[in-house]
Amino acid sequence: MKQAIELNINGDTHEILVSPNNTLLEVLRDKLGLMGTKRGCDLGACGACTVLINGDAYLSCIMLAVDAIGKEILTIEGLAEGGDLHPLQRSFVENGGLQCGFCTPGMILTAKAILDEEKHPTEEVIKRKMAGNLCRCTGYKKIFEAVMSVTEQSGKEF
Amino acid sequence: MRLPKFEYFAPKDLKEAVSILRNEPSAKILAGGTDLLVNMKHKVECPPAIVNIKGINDLDYIKQDNGAVRIGALTTLKHIYMTSLISEKLPALAEAASAVGSYHHQTMGTLAGNICQQNRCKFFNQSLWWRSSRPTCFKAGGQICHVVNKKEICYSSYCGDVGPALLVLNAKIVVTSSRDSREILLEDLFSGDGKAPLNLNPGEILVEIIIPLEEMDGVSGYTKFANRENIDFPIVGTAFWASMENKEYRVAFTAVDRKPLRAHQAEAFLNGKNLNEEILEEAAELAAKDAKPVKTSVYSTTYKRRLMGLLLKSTVSEAMRRAKS
Repeated sequence: MKQAIELNINGDTHEILVSPNNTLLEVLRDKLGLMGTKRGCDLGACGACTVLINGDAYLSCIMLAVDAIGKEILTIEGLAEGGDLHPLQRSFVENGGLQCGFCTPGMILTAKAILDEEKHPTEEVIKRKMAGNLCRCTGYKKIFEAVMSVTEQSGKEF
Repeated sequence: MRLPKFEYFAPKDLKEAVSILRNEPSAKILAGGTDLLVNMKHKVECPPAIVNIKGINDLDYIKQDNGAVRIGALTTLKHIYMTSLISEKLPALAEAASAVGSYHHQTMGTLAGNICQQNRCKFFNQSLWWRSSRPTCFKAGGQICHVVNKKEICYSSYCGDVGPALLVLNAKIVVTSSRDSREILLEDLFSGDGKAPLNLNPGEILVEIIIPLEEMDGVSGYTKFANRENIDFPIVGTAFWASMENKEYRVAFTAVDRKPLRAHQAEAFLNGKNLNEEILEEAAELAAKDAKPVKTSVYSTTYKRRLMGLLLKSTVSEAMRRAKS
């Protein structure tokens, strides 16, 4: 049975009619048109659907939309503030950290969760924690450099 | 991929959760969802109702009291390995928690959810379309096993990482239902039946994991060997605990049987001895005899048995090295 729920997405409250079996990814893309969150494997294996829930990296394809009630959801659309790109977004552009761009929203949001948790993680930590985000163009080196270049900027707040 | 339809419950406390489960005995409990929802998308699990227990407030904790470390069922895997009490004193558990899936799975997944994950098989963990080319197997509700076709049982493997680590730490669990609450050894939770791998009655919830404080005095470690280490389930995983003063040792494996395997024969052989390479090799051979790997993945059983020995040696040497430093 459908029910009306309120979701806090990128600082805005959205009232949406959902079924319990709707995933958060389905609601973001199909009901709200927030296409920045990508549907990749749809089984929680590729990281393309990563969103931040209360600041933590979650896979929206294996999370129920009704489970996100009362939580702060951040998608890639909500990362830039007033037209100013987030330092991670800028770094991906400057370092060429994308080819086709499909994995990029997930990559950037996972990187944000990692950097929010630990300001200056080691290379090894970044590689290990971002291993759940797959890039089929295999542009991992540039992606890694883009994240590293942000960690190296001292005193930056994310 | 759409999830099948179900009735949804989000209880606010444990009392409400167990009363819903009493009325809906075939309901499934949802915590992190990283195992259940994937299986539901594959239509290998289609429960009529889902009870989301994440809204229950007092099940997310790590505390030390009454001679034990107590961990709430909803504690996330990330919280486990980022807590210094666990990473410093119970490294096997911290290493196992950080070996689970990707960073996202560790953020979403809970300790009890990881323990209670479904067994796995290459003929089971597949899409409905993939499976439609064969008759439905025991695990998915059919009448046949595609791995061992002469026996009328399901041979799916238990592949969880934290299970073996908690086994070598002699962990106990608290299981609650609407009638009572019982404390059992974690080892007794696992049935060894691939189709119904957990000895939980309908309506029961695993609410707490208890690790005796004396386990903190030992050295311990966990090693997972997987194709893509940060994404895949283990081909074989090995947990080890030792009290160096008493020369007492515990060894457990995952992904080599229908349940996480505590290698009792190998432990009896090791106890009282000073460890060296030959002794460990002999112990691993005993453990490999106890294990019942079948070809539920693409890796051969011979390969798995050989890996058990290699992993035991490397887990022991890493745990010893860390203890010395």
